[in-house]
Amino acid sequence: MAEFVSTETRDDGSCTVSVTGEVDIATVDEFLDAASCCLDSGGTNVVIDLGGVTFIDSSGLGALVRIRNLARERGADVTLDRVPDAVARLLEVTGLAAAFVGDGNR
Amino acid sequence: MASTETRPGTNVPTMRVPAPPERTGGGTRPPAEPEPSALNASHRHRARNPRRAAALIATVCLLLTAASTWAAARVDQGAEDRLLQVQTKQVAAVLSTAILVIQQPLSTALDVQRVSGSTGEGPAFKQLMARYIGDDQFVSASLWRRTDGRLAPVASIGVAPALPRGGAAARSLVSSAFSHKTFVVRAVDIGDRQRLAFVMADPASGYVVYAERSISANRRSRVDSDSAFSDLHYALYLGPERTLKSLSTTDVALSSLPLSGRTASTTVPFGDTVLTVVTSPRRHLGASLGQRLPLILLIGGLLLTLIAVRSGYQLIRRRQDAENDTATITDLYERVDALFGEQRDLFVRLQRALLPQVNPDIPELEIASQYVAGTQGVDIGGDWYSIIGLGEDHFAFVVGDVSGRGVDSVAVMAHARFTLRAYLIDGDSPALALEKCSRQFDISVDGHITTALVGVGNARTGEITLASAGHPTPLLITAGAREFVQVPAGLPLGAGAATYRSTRFTMTPGATLLGFTDGLVERRGEDIDVGMQRLADTMTPVSASPVEEMVSHALRKLRPPTASDDIAVLAIRWDPKR
Repeated sequence: MAEFVSTETRDDGSCTVSVTGEVDIATVDEFLDAASCCLDSGGTNVVIDLGGVTFIDSSGLGALVRIRNLARERGADVTLDRVPDAVARLLEVTGLAAAFVGDGNR
Repeated sequence: MASTETRPGTNVPTMRVPAPPERTGGGTRPPAEPEPSALNASHRHRARNPRRAAALIATVCLLLTAASTWAAARVDQGAEDRLLQVQTKQVAAVLSTAILVIQQPLSTALDVQRVSGSTGEGPAFKQLMARYIGDDQFVSASLWRRTDGRLAPVASIGVAPALPRGGAAARSLVSSAFSHKTFVVRAVDIGDRQRLAFVMADPASGYVVYAERSISANRRSRVDSDSAFSDLHYALYLGPERTLKSLSTTDVALSSLPLSGRTASTTVPFGDTVLTVVTSPRRHLGASLGQRLPLILLIGGLLLTLIAVRSGYQLIRRRQDAENDTATITDLYERVDALFGEQRDLFVRLQRALLPQVNPDIPELEIASQYVAGTQGVDIGGDWYSIIGLGEDHFAFVVGDVSGRGVDSVAVMAHARFTLRAYLIDGDSPALALEKCSRQFDISVDGHITTALVGVGNARTGEITLASAGHPTPLLITAGAREFVQVPAGLPLGAGAATYRSTRFTMTPGATLLGFTDGLVERRGEDIDVGMQRLADTMTPVSASPVEEMVSHALRKLRPPTASDDIAVLAIRWDPKR
């Protein structure tokens, strides 16, 4: 079984956080920690790869918001990548799609 | 504008919370105090006393050891008895041969005399017998002839006979030889020594041969190691009696006679009498394993007994320990479970205390609502609903959901609920109330985002204004259709300051607006639209039912049996004819 979350930092200042499986109240802290590490290590462009996500609950959505807010404080961009349809629909329903559209993803 | 909302706070101190519609999980089970002790008692009762069990094992093992040792010994004794008898028979056979050797010169002498007749009878006898005279053979031999009932000596060789020649004893012995087909044998004393006297007669020719053999002074004879006697002690008796007087030869001291212990005896024909052979084994006759087997079994059995007792004792002790541990763990688990249930129950009561206990009395509205906690985990969620009477035919309602679970979520929920209520009572539109609220929540501070559907309605006209902070859109149920009201999705509260757009529509009489939280429609691995459609389909058969039944039906049909998420459902039916 693949790891729930993995990060990859590149020299150009971009950092990719790849999440797989279910992002819910049980796993959200791990996800947040990984993304925070990306920002702490000086990443200016955080890419969140949601390609392997099968489910995301309101805690997971909250985590996306927190990561976006953290990045804004530090002048970094957050981009969502490979967003599954179900997650995209959920972002729409919850009004969060607009919060990430401005960051130039999709 | 006075608020007619029933304040739940008034109900909190008495805790007269209506019974939850669905009580799942722990609940307020009283701690199961009597159970653990009863459990322990039954364990104690069932468990064997290790000492008694060890004693039982020891008894059984010792009995088995004794039985097998005894059986092996019996087998060995039987084998020894049989071997002794076989060897004694071999001895008898050897003796029979030896007797033939003794008899042979006597019968040869008689044969010679019968052939040669009276001519040269003396020299022929001496010549023949000279070969048989010696320490280990005959010491004395003589030839007699009976004519007309009178015995006359013919010739003699060797030392003087123990029985005086021509004496009465000798004559009686010779006479008796004529009445026997074989030789006659007698023990004859000479001083403190003994000799054996052999007499053999030939009635046809009238010749009689008389011979004497020595018996060693102590009557003892060494045994050759390779002879048939090598494994045996023996005693040879002349005649059927086993007395010292009749003893002929033995290999043991006279004081240790008669032979004791395991003995065997047989008789061998010896002239007119018999030789009685008595034997006892010098050593173990059979295989050495047969002799040692009982001892091996005994020692092995005792060792095994020791091991079995030790292991049995330890096993039972460990089992007892394990049973005690299990009882303790079960006890602890039950206590934890009870505490867990109590804590969860407390949270649910807190949650319920924050929900409206009585809906405002607005004549045109039928209102039903339910809150159901998740079944898993102690943490409760932050779902809520709210109905607020605004006076002058106006009312407001909210269905909201705070992300995450636990007391923090409930705190954020209370914050959102009462903040929204304040703005709505102040007369703010749903969009404005949400906009003001959006500046007061920050996920970075409290760790949660909150979605909320906010509505303001006119009970007289059926006009409804809705705004949503990322909350699932409500279902409008009419007699002919079930459709989701399209409400523009704004940012959830906590995601940052935002503005909201509202939507406005007019209910038809009898229409029902069903607000809910995502727990009712969301399934893992499924698009939320699928869940929304399922809700719409589910509500079809109850579209004309009372609102209470609608809410119950929705929860009964759609709530997963192992739902981890909590659910709030609010149904508002506008019925101006009421």
